Amino acid sequence: MAERFDMSVKFAGLKLANPVFTASGTCGYADELADFLDVDALGGFITKSITLKPRKGNPTPRIVETDAGMLNAIGLANVGLERFVAEKLPVIARMKSAVFVNVAGTTIEEYVAVVERLAEEKAIAGFELNISCPNVKKGGISFGTDPAQVEEITRAVKKACGSKVLIVKLAPAVTDISVTARAAVAGGADALSLINTFTAMVIDIETRRPVLANRTGGLSGPAIKPVAVYLVNKVYREVAREAGIPLLGLGGIRSAADAVEFLIAGATAVAIGTASFVEPDCATQVVAGLREYCLRKKIARLDELTGSLHEPA
Amino acid sequence: MTRKHASRKKGSHTGTVLSNVQAGECFWKLRLRFDGEAARAFAGFTPGQFIQFDVSDLAIPSTGSIPTALLDGARRNVLLRRPFSFSDVTADADTTTADLLYCIVGPASLRMTTLREGDTAHLIGPLGNGFAVPEGKQTALLVVGGMGLPPIRCLAKSLSIEHPDIETVAFIGSRTVNALPLEERPARFDKGMSLSVPTFATLGVPSMVATDDGSAGHQGPVTECLSQWLRENPDRPREEVIVYACGPERMLAAVAQIANAKEIDCQVSMERRMACGIGLCQSCAIECRVVGSDETIYKLCCQDGPVFDAREVVFGADDA
Ligand SMILES: Cc1cc2nc3c(=O)[nH]c(=O)nc-3n(C[C@H](O)[C@H](O)[C@H](O)COP(=O)(O)OP(=O)(O)OC[C@H]3O[C@@H](n4cnc5c(N)ncnc54)[C@H](O)[C@@H]3O)c2cc1C
Ligand SMILES: Cc1cc2nc3c(=O)[nH]c(=O)nc-3n(C[C@H](O)[C@H](O)[C@H](O)COP(=O)(O)O)c2cc1C
Ligand code: FES
Repeated sequence: MAERFDMSVKFAGLKLANPVFTASGTCGYADELADFLDVDALGGFITKSITLKPRKGNPTPRIVETDAGMLNAIGLANVGLERFVAEKLPVIARMKSAVFVNVAGTTIEEYVAVVERLAEEKAIAGFELNISCPNVKKGGISFGTDPAQVEEITRAVKKACGSKVLIVKLAPAVTDISVTARAAVAGGADALSLINTFTAMVIDIETRRPVLANRTGGLSGPAIKPVAVYLVNKVYREVAREAGIPLLGLGGIRSAADAVEFLIAGATAVAIGTASFVEPDCATQVVAGLREYCLRKKIARLDELTGSLHEPA
Repeated sequence: MTRKHASRKKGSHTGTVLSNVQAGECFWKLRLRFDGEAARAFAGFTPGQFIQFDVSDLAIPSTGSIPTALLDGARRNVLLRRPFSFSDVTADADTTTADLLYCIVGPASLRMTTLREGDTAHLIGPLGNGFAVPEGKQTALLVVGGMGLPPIRCLAKSLSIEHPDIETVAFIGSRTVNALPLEERPARFDKGMSLSVPTFATLGVPSMVATDDGSAGHQGPVTECLSQWLRENPDRPREEVIVYACGPERMLAAVAQIANAKEIDCQVSMERRMACGIGLCQSCAIECRVVGSDETIYKLCCQDGPVFDAREVVFGADDA
């Protein structure tokens, strides 16, 4: 039996049982994971991106494996707002973990419509704004790269989301991520999550065609982890620390050691994405490993770790 | 119609490698033993279901034994699990053994060849929906294309045990005879329907072989054999016949066309690249018709399939 250790963290005014989330688009709508882990033992759960209307998504192949990572071009396939409310929300409502609905769209009005419909739902702790999906032709990533638009959409959604927490998910492939981070904070974001995937391509040299039907896809997995750690640290130092805004760090995490790196870099919480495909109970393993790390390092509270990076020797 | 679902309980399991040998020109055979909870989980395995195999911690064979065509691919790391079906599952009192037939096509299958007796295999399963046997069926027509053989072999065995009353025949197609994962090669393949292929003959299932290059059996697509059989057996009531198929998508499309035109039930086992195999990622989309509408929707190969009713699938190119 493990020693008792309080794993809880405060995240944008919420008290979470622990700092480990499952990432949007990599954990279904919760019931798919239930055979493998106790979904109530997660710090947070983030749904697949929900759009106003259902989206079929892209043709296949939608994924391809790369060295230490994968590309996906799912195309935000999702059941749409109405079926989400009718079919998925009741399942989510039974979860004890904090649930965040990831919202995507092609216009600001679409984002606002989804958030308005869900803002009063008790089952939901907050929203994650996906303004950084590389796989939809319209809108999507363009929102996430233009700081003026980031601020505008954040402000509009914040107005619609009532008392719920608003997390804005940042695109990594920008000249200076602190510029978009600042724009989201100016627009009223309660928290920032980073990073989403990098647009990438794999070519079949026999056919000289891109492997993915969508030509390009988002790179995720261990390959992007060092970049994600750097970007979390940059946003922490340049924006979040001063603004008092918590960061949700993600990108390639598959172990507690990976998660600790993100916390030291400046994250208050972390999310597991691609690694859940390989080990469906990765998130709860990371929780257990974090506890061990804290006990071994005699850390009293997890938030001591956040942003505790020392200068190079 | 009763759809026989296997136990819905899927999980992370380990198996012990009993043997792992090259069993033919193009394929290897891995035999696994499951104990305890895993034995119970896989005792409920339905033919057509699959597993997700984690091979990321397996070694690469020494360079000398890597086929030249795979040398570049061998250097790639493996991150994701790989989907495989079982060709045979035998449940005893406390243990369940399962056979996995695999072709070496890339970094994961190459690594699998280094598994040795006594090694531990990490897998998730049983996954997806397997083949179902609706009530009232008297004749089962099994159609195989190349590496589509394992789940059909598994089905043939289960039909022979659980539905001995159903007359079962197999149509086995391949590019060339050496690309068929047959453990025992007959001295000669009969041109017509016969018991010359031991893999099926030992189950009492007659079969007919077709190869594109004429290296065995009928020269031409396997669907010609299926059509011919249907022409020669016109007296069977259509509702008592069922076709089961697994192979390249083009073949499945042709089989489905034949079955649908004759209004014969047909179940096809589909393949997609899978990142998770358990419904988390939506990578394995299969375009399906919606009854009473021109619209199509994407279903998930790993959760709604891999076995689908041939009438609902909108076939496309192979997902290679
Ligand atoms: C439900 C299911 C059951 C399967 N059962 C078996 C089996 O019993 N025996 C067997 O040998 N193989 C089976 N496969 C295929 C097997 O999953 C692939 O051969 C394996 O993933 C190859 O991995 P690799 O790293 O060796 O090669 P990779 O480099 O990953 O693949 C080599 C090439 O094969 C193609 N490919 C890879 N995965 C798939 C896929 N899922 N569908 C279509 N094309 C693909 C691609 O063109 C790729 O370039 C099954 C697949 C599915 C979806
Ligand atoms: C298959 C797949 C689907 C994804 N779908 C979404 C999505 O719908 N919305 C979103 O905001 N992010 C989505 N993501 C991005 C992840 O949430 C995460 O930001 C990214 O994968 C990096 O983390 P990882 O390396 O741990 O996977 C998806 C990622 C993958 C691999
Ligand atoms: S493989 Fe992930 S949903 Fe089917």
